[in-house]
Amino acid sequence: MASGIELDKKLYTFSTRCIRCAGCTYSYRDVGFLPTCPIYKKFGFFTYSLGGMAQIGRALYEGRLDLTESVSEVFYHCTSCGACAEVCGIVDFPDMMELQHELRAKCVEVGQVPIAHMITIEGLKKDDNMMQKPKAERGKWAEGLEVKDITKESADVYYHAGCRYCFDEALWPIARSAVNLLKKAGVDVGIAGKDETCCGGRAFELGYQGEFIKYAENNLEMLRTAGIKTLVTSCADGYYAFKVLYDMSGKKGDLEVLHITEYLARLIKEGRLKLTKNVPLTVTYHDPCHLGRKVEPWIRHEGKLKAGEIYEPPREILNSILGLKLVEMQRNRENAWCCGAGGGVIDAYPDFARWAAQERIDEAKSTGAEAMVTACPWCRGNFSDALQESNGKLKIYDIVELVEQAL
Amino acid sequence: MNIVVCIKQVFDPEAPASAYKIDADAKRVVLKGVPPVLSSFDENALEAALRIRDAHESKITVISAGRNLSRPVLMKSLAAGADELLLLEDSAFEDMDSYATADTLASAISKLGQYDLILTGRQAADSNAGVVGSGIAEILDIPCITVARKVELDDGKVRVERVISDGYEVVEAPLPCLITVGNELGELRYATMQELVASRKKPITTWSAQGLEVDPSQVRRAGLPKLFIPQKESRCEMIEGETLEEMGANLALKLREARIL
Repeated sequence: MASGIELDKKLYTFSTRCIRCAGCTYSYRDVGFLPTCPIYKKFGFFTYSLGGMAQIGRALYEGRLDLTESVSEVFYHCTSCGACAEVCGIVDFPDMMELQHELRAKCVEVGQVPIAHMITIEGLKKDDNMMQKPKAERGKWAEGLEVKDITKESADVYYHAGCRYCFDEALWPIARSAVNLLKKAGVDVGIAGKDETCCGGRAFELGYQGEFIKYAENNLEMLRTAGIKTLVTSCADGYYAFKVLYDMSGKKGDLEVLHITEYLARLIKEGRLKLTKNVPLTVTYHDPCHLGRKVEPWIRHEGKLKAGEIYEPPREILNSILGLKLVEMQRNRENAWCCGAGGGVIDAYPDFARWAAQERIDEAKSTGAEAMVTACPWCRGNFSDALQESNGKLKIYDIVELVEQAL
Repeated sequence: MNIVVCIKQVFDPEAPASAYKIDADAKRVVLKGVPPVLSSFDENALEAALRIRDAHESKITVISAGRNLSRPVLMKSLAAGADELLLLEDSAFEDMDSYATADTLASAISKLGQYDLILTGRQAADSNAGVVGSGIAEILDIPCITVARKVELDDGKVRVERVISDGYEVVEAPLPCLITVGNELGELRYATMQELVASRKKPITTWSAQGLEVDPSQVRRAGLPKLFIPQKESRCEMIEGETLEEMGANLALKLREARIL
């Protein structure tokens, strides 16, 4: 008899309702039957699906299974993309991803986590970022940029760059462009430079919920002190953390959280940003999970309006660029195939992450597009790495890069 | 040179206060999504052992006692450089008090046989009792030096800088000897990804109460009569006065009345 784990009663109930149809692995709405679950497609066993994880959770709770390394590996191979929760037509449950979050938290509590995640979290604790880089270098991306420092003066809007944009030098121009675009539109914007810290969202997804709380409390305290009412971020993970996770933890208050694509679409619509240059390019748009499915379900089942999943603003931006033609992939919006980087998979199982990215790249190519556009630094990075590995020809853009070109 | 380092697995003391919940009925702390960690002072002890090995050929054995010990967490000691890990795991080892812990560890160290130096943290990062180290030395009847900030070997002797309130004193002792180590010695070196992966190939041995000179029925337990979060009460009183000087004087009077001044 295994020692078992404690599981929230409602999550246990959820695990007993799954009828094991594997419907959580295929999308069928609008697009016909197409795979949407990366781990299920890769490994081909029901174990590697939300339904499978529900059965494992149930067995753990009932003491029929021990939380061993091989069990935790199943949980950590999941990219947490949320496609399963979107397509399951059987179980009516508030937030199906909650089960996965809970099971990962259990893994953390007993120390059954991938080694790569232990290293990442050690780095986070030491340097307040997910990139294992010295915290003193966090503000380097903004050197020479004439922008307010919210730790010294007030601003209407706080721009949070996010760990990846701060430490991945190849992405610095994108974060700098984002700030310059806001300034050009007359927005009173400020940054926190070297004092910016991780949002904690990735730590939450890895199961380190205690670490997440620490960052949520620290960030919200900093924003309160600076009198910030509106936060704009370029990081899709950060958007999910600030918008959904901070709200779930009951600590967000009335802070308005916007992704840069939402804000830019608003500025273009209001005529404060004018896109006048021709960008003759056929592109397709990849919906990052953290801007779509991940920000949608929790609020939906609370009986409130949707949290405002960001499907249309990026498309509005792309459609407002002269000469640019947007073509859709078959799996788009809530049916989008995950890039493979999410949920810490990029750190623990990079080969699998790139396999998932390649599947998306192939889908993008099949549209005839010359480039794939996204709005998440982790998606962009994973696609670029996969393309480098396969010597692929498709171009990858962050949407801000195209707006900059169109000005 | 055989060095034994005793390490305790504890709740992460750096977890935010709001992550801690109390289950008063079950008298236990509930921590959601917070991993167990190596007690920080025990990490200092391991670092002391590694520094000795940097200068002298040595074998470092890490011992940990308890129930449901987390292998991945304790393997951090192997990744940092320890040669082998010995887990004393048994339901009898749950909730042991300090004396029982010292007894169990001393019994395991005796069974290991050859040891020259035993290192422990100056206290556990959860209970902060600081009893186990000197307890082991007492049971094994060897010298003990507490709160070390530097440990060096010198011609079959150990030379220790021992922290005292206004600085440090230098103490020497013959081997074998037990030393409890303080945070002043320095943090445990950082384990790289490669070292963590390589640590998986290092030996991990598990011993139960059976085979040790420990009678499970006689193990002393740390009992908790009550577990609760203390209620904090604060009261704010505004000190009146026409001028700043008068307010200051009134404040001084109040403090005197409260016997603070």
